[in-house]
Amino acid sequence: MKIDRRSFLGLGLGAVAGVTVSPVTWKLTDDSSIWTQNWPWTPVPKDGKVTFDKTVCSLCDGNCGISVRKIAGRPVKIEGTEDYPVNQGGVCLHGLSALQYLYDPTRITGPMAKKGDTWQEISWDEALKQVCENLNKLRQDKEPEKLACMSKTDKGTIPGLFKRFLMACGSNNFVTMESMKDTWKLVISRMHNMNGVPGFDLENADCILSFGSGLIEGWGAPVHNFKVNASRKERGALLFQVEPRLSNTAASADQWIPARPGTEADLALGICSVMITGNLYDSLFVAGLGSGFEQFAKYVTTKYSPARTAEITGVKAEKIEAIAKAFARSKTGVAIAGRGRGENAGSLREFSAVHALNCLKGNINKKGGVWIVLEEDFAGWPAVDMDDTASRGFAVRRLDQAGSSKFPDIKSSASNFFAQINAGSTPPVKTLFVYEANPCYAMKDTKAVREAVKKIPFVVSFSSFMDETAQMADLILPSHMFLERMEDLPGSAMMPQKIVGLSKPVIDPVFNTKNPGDTIIMMAKAMGGAIAESFPWKGYDACLESVAGELWKSLSKKGYVLQKENSPEIQPFVDFACSALTSDRIAAQGDDSFSVTLIPYDHVKIAAGKLQSSPFAVKTVSDKVLKNNDGFIEINPVTAEKLNLSQGDYAALSTPKGKAKVKVHLSEGIMPGVAAMAAGLGHTGENRYVAGKGINVNELLGPVKDSGSGLDAAFGIKAKISRA
Amino acid sequence: MDSALIPKGANRCSFPTFAVGIAVAAVFVLWGVYAMGLCWLKGLNQTNMNDYYGFALWIWADLAVIAIGGGAFFTGLLKYVFGIDELKNIINLAVVIGFICYSSALLILAIDIGQPLRGWFIFWHANVHSMLTEVAFCLSLYFSVLTIEFLPLILENRKIDKIPFFHNLSHNMHGIMAVFAATGAFLSCFHQGSLGGVAGVLYARPFAFREGLLVWPWTFFLFTWSAAAYGPCFTLTILKIFEKVTKKKLVKDSVVYTLAKISGWMITTYLIAKIIDTFYWAFVTAPAAGFKMMDFYSNNGFYGIWILIAELVIGGIVPAAILIKKDWREKPKLLVTAIVLATLGVCINRWVMVLQVMAPPVMPFDTWALYYPSWQEVATSVLPVAYAVILISLAYRYLPVFPQEKELNPE
Amino acid sequence: MKQEHNDKKAHKYGMVIDLDKCTGCGSCMVACMSENNVPFKENETDKKDSITWMRVYKLTNGKPFPDTEVCYLPRPCMHCGGKGDHGHSPCVSVCPAVATDYDHSTGIVSQIYTRCFGCRYCMAACPYHARYFNWWDPKWPGEMEKYLSPDVSPRMRGVVEKCSFCIHRYQAARDRVYYEGREVIEENEYQTACTQACPAGAITFGDLNNPDHKVHQLVKPDPHKAGKPREPKAFRLLERLGTNPKVYYLSEREWVRKAGDNYLEGEWKKAGKNHNDGHE
Ligand SMILES: Nc1nc2c(c(=O)[nH]1)N[C@H]1C(S)=C(S)[C@@H](COP(=O)(O)OP(=O)(O)OC[C@H]3O[C@@H](n4cnc5c(=O)[nH]c(N)nc54)[C@H](O)[C@@H]3O)O[C@H]1N2
Ligand SMILES: Nc1nc2c(c(=O)[nH]1)N[C@H]1C(S)=C(S)[C@@H](COP(=O)(O)OP(=O)(O)OC[C@H]3O[C@@H](n4cnc5c(=O)[nH]c(N)nc54)[C@H](O)[C@@H]3O)O[C@H]1N2
Ligand code: SF4
Ligand code: SF4
Ligand code: SF4
Ligand code: SF4
Ligand code: SF4
Repeated sequence: MKIDRRSFLGLGLGAVAGVTVSPVTWKLTDDSSIWTQNWPWTPVPKDGKVTFDKTVCSLCDGNCGISVRKIAGRPVKIEGTEDYPVNQGGVCLHGLSALQYLYDPTRITGPMAKKGDTWQEISWDEALKQVCENLNKLRQDKEPEKLACMSKTDKGTIPGLFKRFLMACGSNNFVTMESMKDTWKLVISRMHNMNGVPGFDLENADCILSFGSGLIEGWGAPVHNFKVNASRKERGALLFQVEPRLSNTAASADQWIPARPGTEADLALGICSVMITGNLYDSLFVAGLGSGFEQFAKYVTTKYSPARTAEITGVKAEKIEAIAKAFARSKTGVAIAGRGRGENAGSLREFSAVHALNCLKGNINKKGGVWIVLEEDFAGWPAVDMDDTASRGFAVRRLDQAGSSKFPDIKSSASNFFAQINAGSTPPVKTLFVYEANPCYAMKDTKAVREAVKKIPFVVSFSSFMDETAQMADLILPSHMFLERMEDLPGSAMMPQKIVGLSKPVIDPVFNTKNPGDTIIMMAKAMGGAIAESFPWKGYDACLESVAGELWKSLSKKGYVLQKENSPEIQPFVDFACSALTSDRIAAQGDDSFSVTLIPYDHVKIAAGKLQSSPFAVKTVSDKVLKNNDGFIEINPVTAEKLNLSQGDYAALSTPKGKAKVKVHLSEGIMPGVAAMAAGLGHTGENRYVAGKGINVNELLGPVKDSGSGLDAAFGIKAKISRA
Repeated sequence: MDSALIPKGANRCSFPTFAVGIAVAAVFVLWGVYAMGLCWLKGLNQTNMNDYYGFALWIWADLAVIAIGGGAFFTGLLKYVFGIDELKNIINLAVVIGFICYSSALLILAIDIGQPLRGWFIFWHANVHSMLTEVAFCLSLYFSVLTIEFLPLILENRKIDKIPFFHNLSHNMHGIMAVFAATGAFLSCFHQGSLGGVAGVLYARPFAFREGLLVWPWTFFLFTWSAAAYGPCFTLTILKIFEKVTKKKLVKDSVVYTLAKISGWMITTYLIAKIIDTFYWAFVTAPAAGFKMMDFYSNNGFYGIWILIAELVIGGIVPAAILIKKDWREKPKLLVTAIVLATLGVCINRWVMVLQVMAPPVMPFDTWALYYPSWQEVATSVLPVAYAVILISLAYRYLPVFPQEKELNPE
Repeated sequence: MKQEHNDKKAHKYGMVIDLDKCTGCGSCMVACMSENNVPFKENETDKKDSITWMRVYKLTNGKPFPDTEVCYLPRPCMHCGGKGDHGHSPCVSVCPAVATDYDHSTGIVSQIYTRCFGCRYCMAACPYHARYFNWWDPKWPGEMEKYLSPDVSPRMRGVVEKCSFCIHRYQAARDRVYYEGREVIEENEYQTACTQACPAGAITFGDLNNPDHKVHQLVKPDPHKAGKPREPKAFRLLERLGTNPKVYYLSEREWVRKAGDNYLEGEWKKAGKNHNDGHE
C-alpha cells in the first residue's frame, strides 16, 4: 500500500485516538499512580507480634519506668509505665525519643583507637590490651594515682565497678560531675550534722518556694515533678518561682518572682527575716532543736529588712512580705534550691539560706516536708584486694583536694580537678577514664577543660555516642545504651522515697558495644594479679546479682524496689549559725565594663549535660531559641532599647571567657539587664540533627569557686552586647 | 523559505529574523522546563512555598491567566450568542490567547501538585463539594472547547486548507462554532466562578470568606464578571503589542472601540458589585468573625491598604472611566493606559484573593506570614509567557489571525 | 437486649486540654511523632515547614515585665465538625479528591495519603495550621527506619498529613472489642498517644457524645449548639468561625480564654456575659 500524505495523516489521527482509548494508556496512568503510592524509597515498616518490655529510663537521673512497645522484637515506641512510682505513666520528650538514641547514626559502633587524627576500628581484645599496657606502665612507674576516672555519678554498681577498679589499681581519683546534690549534701551535713541528701516531699507540700529550681525544666525527677506540679490545682498547693526569667516553671507557678540573678540567698534571708520579725516560724521546733538561732535571727533581721532585701534583689518589699506570709501560713511549705535542672553545684550560701526557711518552718522529716535521706549503698561489695602499689597510690591525696583539710566535707570536685590539671606543667593525670560524662561540653569554660583533657596522654572514653569528650579520647570502649543493658539505678533525684530501678535490655545490642560493667570486669581480668582477684564475677550480670544480695529477687521480679522511707521521723538537730552567714556571696565574673549579666537557662525541650538532644527534641524547640544554626539570647525590650537592638537582630556577645554571634529575642519575660541563653545547644561532631546548632553557653561561662565548698557556684557571667 | 505557509497577501518578516526571535523565547522556555523538571524530580521543596503558603505564585498565575484569558469566552459570547458580528475581526486573537492561557494554567497546575502522577484523582475520586473539582472539570472541558475553537483557524493555514478534507472540516466547524462558543461561555462562567469560589468558600479564613447565593460565594460571581470585564482588555493589550511590534494596523479602530466600550461598562458594573462586596465584607462578614478590616492591612508594608486602592481605583475605576467615555477611549494613549491598568487591576485582585488570604493570622496568637517565590517558581511562571510568545508568533505568521489585516495593509 | 450504657452508635471523639495544667513540656509533641512515624529533617527551625501534628504554642498576656504571663497551648487537629457540625470541616469540604474525609461514626477527620495528590487546598482552608505538607521525601538516617511502627504508614513526599486522633488505636480497640464479642469500646481502651504521654495529665480524650466520659463531663457540650461548651471555663479555638472543633480548652484565666478567638473592641465583655448565660 502506498502511503500518501492523506492516509499518513489519517493514520496519525487514528493512532492518537487508538492510544487514547487503548487500555494500555489507562493501565499506565493507573500504574504510575500506584507506583507513587509504593515508592520503594518510602519505607514500609514490617508488621509482627506486639509485645511490651518494661525497663527504666536512665537518660537522666529521673529514672522513669518505661514500657517499650515492640513489633516482632523490634522496639517501635516508648511509653510510660502506669504503675511505676516515679512517673506513673508519664514520660518526658527525651525518654520518648530513646529509640532515636538507640539507632543514632553517630553512635560508636565498636572499639576504636585514634591514630593521628583519625579513628580506627579495633577488636575488643586489642582495645583491652592497649588499656592494660597503659595501666601496667603507670603501675610499674609507681604512679597508679595518675589514673583518674570521671563519671556522672558514683551511684549504682557500674560506677561502683569503676571506682573499685581504680582502687584496685591504686588511684583515689574517682571524680564525679558536680551537681546541686553535692551542695545539698554539704548543707545537710553542716546544718544537721548528718550524712544524707534531702528528699523533698513536694507531692504533699502545700506551698513550694522554689529558688530557680526548674520543676518543669527537669529538676530532680522530672516527670515526677511534672505530676507534682499538675496536681497542685486539685490540692490547692501554691508554687512561687523565684528566677530572673519567666521559665516554663515560672509560667505554671502561681507567682513568678523575678529576682536579680545571684541574689536568691538574699531573698531567702529576707523572707527569713520577715518570718522571724513577725514570729511566723515554728518556735517550738527552733527552740527545741536549733542552735545558733539567736545569732541567725540577729543577722537576718538587721541585715535583711524587707526594704533592704528589696533593694538587693529587685523584688518589692510588699511582695517579700506577702511571700513570707503565704509560706508561713502554709501547713507544709517547702523551699527548694538548685537552678534549672540542678546540673551545677550552686552556692553554699544560697542553699543554706533556702534550707533555713525549711528549718524555720520546722518542716523537716515530716510528710510534705524535707526528708533527710541517709546515704546508704545497697550494694554489698566484697573487700578490694590491694597490692602494695595500689595501697600506696590510693593513699595519695586526691588531685581535686576533696576530703583534704581544704575541702573536708566534699567527696569530689570536678571543677577543681581540671583546674589542677591546668595549673601544673606536667600533667598530674596520665590516664583518664570518662564514663557517662561529657566534661568537654558540659563544664563551664569548656576551652580550659578541653585544654586539660588535651594534656592527658591517654584518655579512654566509655561513651555510646561520639560526644565532645569522646572526640578528644585516644581510645573508645563503647558502652551499650540503656535499652541494651542491665543496670541498677538507685534513685537519687531529690525524692523522699528511695527507689532502686532495674534497667533491662529490651533489644540485642545494635552495635559491637558492651555493658560497661562487663568492660571493667574484662579489663580487670586482663590486668591479672590482685586486680583480677578483686573482680571475681563472670560478668556484670553475675556481679549485680551477687552484690545486690537480698534485693535482687524483688528487683529482678518487679523491675524496681521501693525501699522503706528509711529516714526516722525524728526531728534532727539544726545549726542555724550555718554557712548562710559565713559563706561567700557569689558574684558574676567580669568588671563594670560588662553591662549585662548573662545567665544560662535549662529548657525542658533541650537536653543538656551528658545527653545530647534527639532529632525529635530539637524539632520541638522554638524558633526564638534556635533559628537555622543561630542561637538566641533573650533580653527585655528595655535592655534592647539601651543596646539599640530589635527582635531578630544579630548581636556580638562577649564575656570574660569568650565571644559569640547571637540573635536577639525580645521578651517581657526576663528582667532588664539580664540576658539568658539556653543550655544544651552548640554541640560539635557529626550528628547533623544537633551539632553546629546554636552556641554552647558553657564556652562563654567560667567557674567561680565557692570557698565554702570548693565547688563551682557560678550562676552566670557579665557580658557585653552590641549590634553585630 | 517558509513563504508557502504564510497566509496569502500577508507581509511577514524574514524567516531568520523570525527564527532569532523564537530562539530568544525558547531560551526562556528551556529555563522554565529545567525548573519544571526540578520540581517534578525533586519535589516541591524547590519552591519557597510552605505550610502557610500552600497556595502561592503558581495559583496566582493560574487565576491571573485564566482571568485575562477570559477575553476568549466573553468575546465568543458577544459574537456568537449576542451576535455582535463585528467582533469576528478580533475573535481569532481572543481564541488564541484563551488557548494559550488555559494550556498554561493546566501546565502550571500539573507542576503545582505534590503528586502529579495522581493528578487525575481529581476526576476519578471527585468531591462534588469542592470548588477545585469544579475548576478541574470546567477547566479541562473548556480547554477542549478552546482547542476545538482554535482548530478551524489552524485548518485555514494555506497549506492545510488545500487538502479538501480539512477544507470541508474547517467550513463545517465554522458552521457549528456558535454551539461551542455557547458551551464555552457556559463552562467558563462556571470555572471562572469556581476559581473565585476557591477562596470565597474558605469559611475559616476571614480574609477570603464571602457569603453568597446557594453554594456559591459572592466571589464566584465576581470572578466570572471580572474575567468577562477585564479579559477583553488583555486581548486588546495583546493586539496593541502586536500592532506595535509589527508596525501594522491589524484590527479596525471601530472594532477595538466596541470591545473597549463593552469592557468599560462591564468593569463599571463589576466595580459597583465589588465595592459593595468589599464594604459588606469589611463591615459585616469579617467583623462577625472578630476582625476589623484594617487587621488585614496594617501589619506590613506589602499588604498595606495601598493594595486595595491599587486594585479598585488604579486598576478599576480609572480604566473603567477611560473606557466608558468615548472621547477618552478614542485617544490612543489613554486607551492603552486603560487596558494596561485594567489588566494589572485584575491581576492584583487575583493576587490578593490567593496570597493575601494566606498572610494574616487567624488564630490571635499566630503570626503574619510573608512569602517570596523561589527562582524555580519564577522560571516555571515565565515558561508560559515564553511559550505564549512562541505560539502567538507562530499563529500570527502562519494563520490568518486578523481577517482585516489585508484590508488595512494593502501592498 | 437493652443497652446498659450511654454509648451511642455515633461517637464523637474529642479532646479537652487543661491549659492551666499544661507546662509546655512537649511530651505530647514527641509522643505523637514517635507514635505516628512523623519524619524529621536536619533543619527544623523553619516552623512553617516543620511537620508537627501536635504543636505547642506559647501565648503571652501582652503585659510588660514583671506582669507578663505565659500559657502553653497544644494544638492537634481540631477534627472540626464544620458549620452545624454536619461534617463539612473546612478542609474536608474543599478536598477535591476526597482524600480527607469526615467519619460520621467517630467524628474523626481522616487523611488518606495514597489518595491525596498534594494540591494543598485543605491547608489553605485550615485556620489552625494543623495540616502539613511533605515538601521532602521522609528520610530516617542510619538504621532509624527500624523503629518505625507498622500501625501508621510513613508518608511519601508530596502529600498532606495531620493529626489523626491516633485512628489506628481506635481501629485496634474496635477490633479487640469485636474479637472479644463485646459491644462498647471502653473509655480507656481508646486513648491517643499524646493523652497517654502527657505527664501533667492536661489532656483528656474520649467520646463527647457519651455523658459517662470525662471529656463530656469536663465541658458539657451543648448538642443544640453544635457542641459549644456549657462549662464557662471551657472554650474552643476560633469558635466564631463555625468550624466546630472537637478539641476544647479549659482555663481559669480570662486572658487565656480571650486569646482563643478574635474579638472586636468591647465584644469580649459582652461575649463573656452571654457565655455564662448558657450555663446550667
Ligand atoms: N489474618 C488475616 N489477614 C488478612 C485478611 C484476613 O481476613 N485475615 N484479609 C486480607 C485482606 S482481604 C485485606 S484487604 C488486607 C487488609 O489489610 P490492610 O490494608 O493492612 O488493612 P487494615 O489493617 O484494615 O488497615 C491498614 C492501615 O490503614 C490505617 N488506616 C486506617 N484509616 C486510615 C486513613 O484514613 N489514612 C491512612 N493513611 N491510614 C489509615 C490503619 O490504621 C492500618 O494501619 O488484609 C489481608 N490480610
Ligand atoms: N467488619 C469488616 N468488614 C469487612 C472488612 C473489615 O475489615 N471489617 N474487610 C472488607 C474486605 S477488605 C473484604 S476483602 C471482605 C472479605 O469478605 P469475604 O469475601 O466475605 O471474606 P471471608 O470472610 O474471608 O469469607 C470468604 C468465604 O470463603 C470461604 N472459602 C475459603 N476458601 C474457599 C475456597 O477455596 N472456595 C470457596 N468456594 N470458598 C472458600 C470461607 O470459608 C468464607 O466463608 O470483607 C470486607 N468487610
Ligand atoms: S525524665 Fe529522665 S528518666 Fe524520665 S523519661 Fe525523661 S529522660 Fe528518662
Ligand atoms: S505533654 Fe501535656 S503538659 Fe506537656 S506540653 Fe503537652 S499537653 Fe502540655
Ligand atoms: S483543624 Fe484543620 S485540618 Fe483539622 S479538621 Fe479542622 S480544618 Fe481540618
Ligand atoms: S492536598 Fe490532598 S488532602 Fe488536601 S485537598 Fe489536596 S488532595 Fe485533598
Ligand atoms: S491524637 Fe494522636 S495523632 Fe493527634 S496529636 Fe495526639 S498523638 Fe498525635
